[in-house]
Amino acid sequence: MKEQIQEILEEARRSIPSCVSDKDLEELRIKYLGKKSSLSDLLSKIGTVSKEERPQMGALLNKTKKEIAQLIEQKKLDLHEKTDTSRARGLDVTMPGRPLPIGAKHPLCQIWEEIEDIFINLGFEVAEGPEIESEYYNFDALNTPSGHPARNPQDTFYLKGGKLLRTQTSPMQIRVMEKFKPPIKIISTGRCYRVDKMDPSHLPVFHQVEALMVDEGITMSDLKGALDSFVKRIFTSDTRSRFRPHFFPFTEPSAEIDILCINCKGAGCKLCKKSGWLEMGGAGMVDPAVLEEVGYDPEKYTGYAFGLGIERIAMLRYGISDIRKLVTNDLRILKQFQ
Amino acid sequence: MKISYNWLNELVPTHLDIDEFCEKLTMFGLEVEEVVQPGKELDNIVVGKVISVEKHPNADKLTLCQVDVGKSEPLSIICGASNVVKDILVPVAKIGAKLGDFEIKKAKLRGVESFGMICSEKELGVSDEHSGIMIIKQDIEPGTPFADAMGMNDSIIEVEVTPNRPDLLGMIGVAREVAVMLNAEYEHPEIAFEESEVKTEDEISVIIEDSEKCPRYCARMVKGITVQPSPAWMQKKLIASGLRPINNIVDVTNYVLLEYGQPLHAFDYTKIKDKTIVVRIAKDKEKMMLLDDTELKLHSENLLIADAEHPLALAGIMGGLDSSISDNTRDVVIECAYFDPKNIRASALEYGLQTDSSYRFERGMDPNSLTEVIDRAAQLMQLTGGGEISSGVVDCYPHKIEPKILPLRVSRTNGILNVKMTADEVENYLNKFEFGTKKASDDSFEVTIPTFRPDIEREIDIIEELARCYGYNNVESHFWINRIDNKQKRTVVRLAKNHLISLGFYEVNNMSFASTEDLNALKIPENDFRRNIVELANPIGEQFSIMRSTLIPDLLKNAALNLSYKFENFKLFELNRIYLKEREDTYTEPTYLTGVIVGEFDPFYWKEKQRVTSFYDVKGVVESVLSKIHCTKNVTYKVSNQPYYTNDSAADIFLDGKTIGSCGIIKDDVLQSFEIEASVMLFDIDLSRIIPLYNEKAIRFKEIVKYPPVLRDIAVIAPSDIVIGTSAQTIKSVAPNIIKDVRLFDVYTGKQIKQGCRSLAFNITFQSETLTLTDKYVDKLFDKIVKKLSLVHQIELRQE
Ligand SMILES: [Zn+2]
Repeated sequence: MKEQIQEILEEARRSIPSCVSDKDLEELRIKYLGKKSSLSDLLSKIGTVSKEERPQMGALLNKTKKEIAQLIEQKKLDLHEKTDTSRARGLDVTMPGRPLPIGAKHPLCQIWEEIEDIFINLGFEVAEGPEIESEYYNFDALNTPSGHPARNPQDTFYLKGGKLLRTQTSPMQIRVMEKFKPPIKIISTGRCYRVDKMDPSHLPVFHQVEALMVDEGITMSDLKGALDSFVKRIFTSDTRSRFRPHFFPFTEPSAEIDILCINCKGAGCKLCKKSGWLEMGGAGMVDPAVLEEVGYDPEKYTGYAFGLGIERIAMLRYGISDIRKLVTNDLRILKQFQ
Repeated sequence: MKISYNWLNELVPTHLDIDEFCEKLTMFGLEVEEVVQPGKELDNIVVGKVISVEKHPNADKLTLCQVDVGKSEPLSIICGASNVVKDILVPVAKIGAKLGDFEIKKAKLRGVESFGMICSEKELGVSDEHSGIMIIKQDIEPGTPFADAMGMNDSIIEVEVTPNRPDLLGMIGVAREVAVMLNAEYEHPEIAFEESEVKTEDEISVIIEDSEKCPRYCARMVKGITVQPSPAWMQKKLIASGLRPINNIVDVTNYVLLEYGQPLHAFDYTKIKDKTIVVRIAKDKEKMMLLDDTELKLHSENLLIADAEHPLALAGIMGGLDSSISDNTRDVVIECAYFDPKNIRASALEYGLQTDSSYRFERGMDPNSLTEVIDRAAQLMQLTGGGEISSGVVDCYPHKIEPKILPLRVSRTNGILNVKMTADEVENYLNKFEFGTKKASDDSFEVTIPTFRPDIEREIDIIEELARCYGYNNVESHFWINRIDNKQKRTVVRLAKNHLISLGFYEVNNMSFASTEDLNALKIPENDFRRNIVELANPIGEQFSIMRSTLIPDLLKNAALNLSYKFENFKLFELNRIYLKEREDTYTEPTYLTGVIVGEFDPFYWKEKQRVTSFYDVKGVVESVLSKIHCTKNVTYKVSNQPYYTNDSAADIFLDGKTIGSCGIIKDDVLQSFEIEASVMLFDIDLSRIIPLYNEKAIRFKEIVKYPPVLRDIAVIAPSDIVIGTSAQTIKSVAPNIIKDVRLFDVYTGKQIKQGCRSLAFNITFQSETLTLTDKYVDKLFDKIVKKLSLVHQIELRQE
């Protein structure tokens, strides 16, 4: 019996000081001192103890009860002191602080800025141009002669009066080359337009970034290097890219750029349609005819160009599968991009 | 390093005026720090001869001197110095001369007139000596301008010699460099003299005990020399170079130091025990007394020049007292040696002895020019003091230090510099530097680097020299950044966006298409510029048939959409282009910044009652955005008549008198046509008008005004039709330079205020940039303000 009493006391000494509320403390009081407590139980069994030990046990039980009662009383005071002083000062640290405003840039604009900054870091200048363009800058100067299917009104928006909405940011590159001598190292960014029905992967209005570098001795290695640097920074440092032969009127040789699927790292998944690769845009060495058109000596100068869709990059970075989400301007979406 | 331009021109005529020359020198790599023309300030100061000295009749400490200044009449000058005696030559500042700010005038000292002043060295800027008047030791005709006599009609060019170029610490090295720079020739001094029968090696022997610390030691002797002042030409050059003439022997060592850069030392021959010079390391705790009377306790890292018994000099740093030249010296031993730079540096540092000599040895002298230098010294000693030069040089040079030979490729040079130098040009430049060249192939040379150029160690070091010859500024610049970059726009756009976001706005991004219905919903009249629409020939739908000419409809649609999602209070903005038709086939695409505040401006806060949003919230947003993009000057606000605003709740924003946008509360019926059931405030700014004005470089630090500001409040009763902006302007106009700020802090209309009026309270900051404002002065201004408000606006001071 002595051991049992000792055990109960030890437990009470541990549990009472660590309790945090009046309610917990009351439960402990009932547990140790209540009518159904183990101490009461032991007291009722005191008769079973030998005659010689009985007074000793009784005294021990009383002493233990007294100590536990004292512990509880002390704890009660402690708890009240704490709550009383902080409440007196009116402080509840769990209450919300004064709500200061937080807004957010549109996700597309966030990515756009990030892309600009990466290219600025790589030494590119940023050029902007008009979205309302002439057929000359959008097509003729870019080696896309009349009769080319891209010029159809089924693909290109025309204005009443003959001008068009640029289908790519390349016209700005022509404008820059007309005005400045090499070396040229620019990106042109901005809105472009193509006649497309709105669906999960198409919008009639979208954004492009195009890079152009022209100088003596620019090679396809420079193109691959610039592109690699870019995709590694905008995605992750282990992002690989590959070039697939393709056709564009204003580059020769031309290629489509793929990056290793950022979701499955090449294993094949829904995002990459099991191919392991994601199509990112077009690239190539500037066609000598284009250089000639702007008055550069194509024997002296070479250059590269590549173009990427900003929506595409934003969707991949944020895991957005429907491009239309980027123009709904729903606060339930925008608030995710704080 | 101080370069006398006169001296330099003797070695290599530059045919350039001093400014041109200094510019060239700096661009060639010898940076000119300062040019001093000491003679310029010495007008009316001449050499005079004291012909008589008398006591001043009324003052014990003054003397009355008659001084011959070359004119018929000697000048009568009162002098206070004790060292003035008859027959000496002195500098005389005549009437009209200027010594610093002090002009010499005819003066009366204790009843006696004085017609000038006899000057000390310090007064003339010759040295810091000022214990007495300067005594000129050369034989000079009285009346000679002092600057001419002292060689001070010169330009002293102070150049920064980098530590890697010890060869430029002497005039000959500088002349060589200048000759390369000017593609000219420079003259070496002509060294010729007769030697006596006596052989130097019989008179003195040299033993180098530590040839690592002293690879070479040369000695020569001049016997029977007279110690006396050195000739005027030498003194002039020493003074010009910042050294004080002492006697011919010391002056010659200094002169040759200036000429060749090579430090020399002269010993009194009779004080060298056993006719033996030993170059050795010091014994532990060996003592020696230096020339400047300090005693050193040496140790085995210190290199000494000693005789058979005692130290004579701390090698390369300073001579000892015992062996130094005195007026009685007859026979002189000249030392010319090459010491290990590291050892000299360590010893000089240890004893805190930075001398002209240690300064040069630390940087590395040319071990292979010692015999030429020592011959030059012997020649000059004989020239200035007579005597006989014993025959031959005792030259202790156990291991000859050979010049380096480096390969140089012309193609590599051209490749690095992007220049097109021919092999001949390259060779010519190298030879000018006195680098030896041997053609190794069509494209390359073997270049022998003279030992006076310890800095040239690799091919690239030679290429650097060639680049200097070619001229850094003649190298083509491949500069191309920032011709095209739209940094200005990018900066403004980002500043504006980031600012709005921190105010709690969310950015939206709408497509560029719209329909004329949108314009109708805004009640935009037919003659509004936004009706100059751009129409698509092949739109994808009626609601997308034009390019939007305003961002407002899309923002209102965005507001309606988000209200339908149960957002109650929110703020949105868009920064994008609008599209306008200017003329047939000519379009513009200005960039607009448009935003809406839907519901309440402040977020809900449990602790306070919701503040009611008003027009001033949207105006505050506009003001803060404009201020963030530095668009504050010449911005004004007037009541707006835009058809989509509630009457009397909107303002047009003007920049330089032209409207750049508006802000205000949207009309209910407009809101209804966009199906909005909430209050909406709008701002709409043409950013294209502001971007070209933005200039981040316009931010300039302004010194903080150290005089405290004075703050005063003024409470007035103003007729309600007086706009606050005007009354604030009127207050400021009372003292625009002193009234720094006028801030409205209270507006009140109520029972106590008479009908048609309101009470305004302003906080005015007064501050002067030049003095502490007194209360009295501020009171005066305050009264002026009250008077002007009353006079101009019939605004009266509020009586409490
Ligand atoms: Zn995948």
